Amino acid sequence: MATISFDLVSPENLIFNDEVGMIIVPGKDGDFGVLPGHSKVMSSLRPGRVMVYGDGKNLLKSFFVSGGFAEVNPEKCIVLAESVDEVNALDKSSIEKEIQELSGQENDMAKEQLGIAKAKIDAIDSNFYEKV
Amino acid sequence: MPSLKDIKTQINSVGSTRKITSAMKMVAASKLRRSQEKAEAARPYSSRLEEMLASLASSAASGEGIVKLLTGTGNDQNYVVVPVSADRGLCGGFNSSINKETFRLVKSLEDDGKNVQLMPVGKKSRDFFNRVMKDKILDSFADLNVSVNGYDAALQVSNKLQELYFDGKFDKCIIVFNKFKSAISQEVTQQQLIPLDVSNSSKEENVDDSAAKAIYDYEPDEETILKDLLPKNVSIQIFKVLLESDAGEHGARMAAMDNATRNAGEMIDSLTLKYNRTRQAFITKELIEIISGAESI
Repeated sequence: MATISFDLVSPENLIFNDEVGMIIVPGKDGDFGVLPGHSKVMSSLRPGRVMVYGDGKNLLKSFFVSGGFAEVNPEKCIVLAESVDEVNALDKSSIEKEIQELSGQENDMAKEQLGIAKAKIDAIDSNFYEKV
Repeated sequence: MPSLKDIKTQINSVGSTRKITSAMKMVAASKLRRSQEKAEAARPYSSRLEEMLASLASSAASGEGIVKLLTGTGNDQNYVVVPVSADRGLCGGFNSSINKETFRLVKSLEDDGKNVQLMPVGKKSRDFFNRVMKDKILDSFADLNVSVNGYDAALQVSNKLQELYFDGKFDKCIIVFNKFKSAISQEVTQQQLIPLDVSNSSKEENVDDSAAKAIYDYEPDEETILKDLLPKNVSIQIFKVLLESDAGEHGARMAAMDNATRNAGEMIDSLTLKYNRTRQAFITKELIEIISGAESI
């Protein structure tokens, strides 16, 4: 079966680089799936899950990104993300604590952080797309 | 003439200095390797970002809002210069060359009638400019520790810069830093950070012009993406600079400590020679005293 090469890059390092079957990316206007031969798209991302599937559409890995960009062409998909965590490695209780701390604050920075933290909780709880 | 004991103490103290400098050299060498790896790991992100930006830059004709990071304010009067030095010394001419170059740049900009302000990054340049041009300092950063804090360190600087830029505090920002050329050589480099200088990246882009020109679908649209992309690009450029400067610092320290170790070795050799000569002279003198005493009887 055809595969597409997928790079997940953060400023600090290259996190994932392999041939995969499909990727689901949290685009700003909604999630979109990338299969081999996808048309050329450039999109900015909202906080959410980047899900990587193997050849047989089995879920390989699920990452949480706090935002960034995706560039897709028929052979390659590149996600540039500012901060990346594996969803399994996220700790729900510490994020909930963070939300409590942030929810009182009024400035833009805290609001942005709060949005990301909430999206993290959603990412942990969600089981969308786990089987495709 | 120094006594034998004096020379012996001197030899010992130079010996322990040599031990310290050679240990520092080892530490710098291992830190250099690590920060070089970090700098390399950051490369894919920044190069991809530049590619994206280059293919988007053409659509940024209007000079409003965030796009100003690309197009500039239209003025050329107020400058901010950001010297990036190390937090610690003992690394040869690393810090002083940055300070000297920045000082020269500020003077030459002022000669052209521009207003210049400074935002030093790193303790050594902060302290230097606090002494010589305190009134020009807008803000300063120290102990950013990029090898530990990573990207967050760059964000601090970048957020501050952009905040000031959108407040209209300056029109152009130039960053002065040590570019990492090899483990033993660094090059003092000036780079224009704001507005973004696309001229050098677009040259590379010409190589695969056809690929860059290919039509992309933009989601949500080009302008929105550009608005997200530009501030990130400033941050990533600063991140790159901080990493290079960090690697350069360790390289410079390694070279400086290597020199110091070698000098200490030479000093010990010459002191040992002096010690032996003095000892010999004492023996000869004592012999002469004994012989001439015996003769006179």
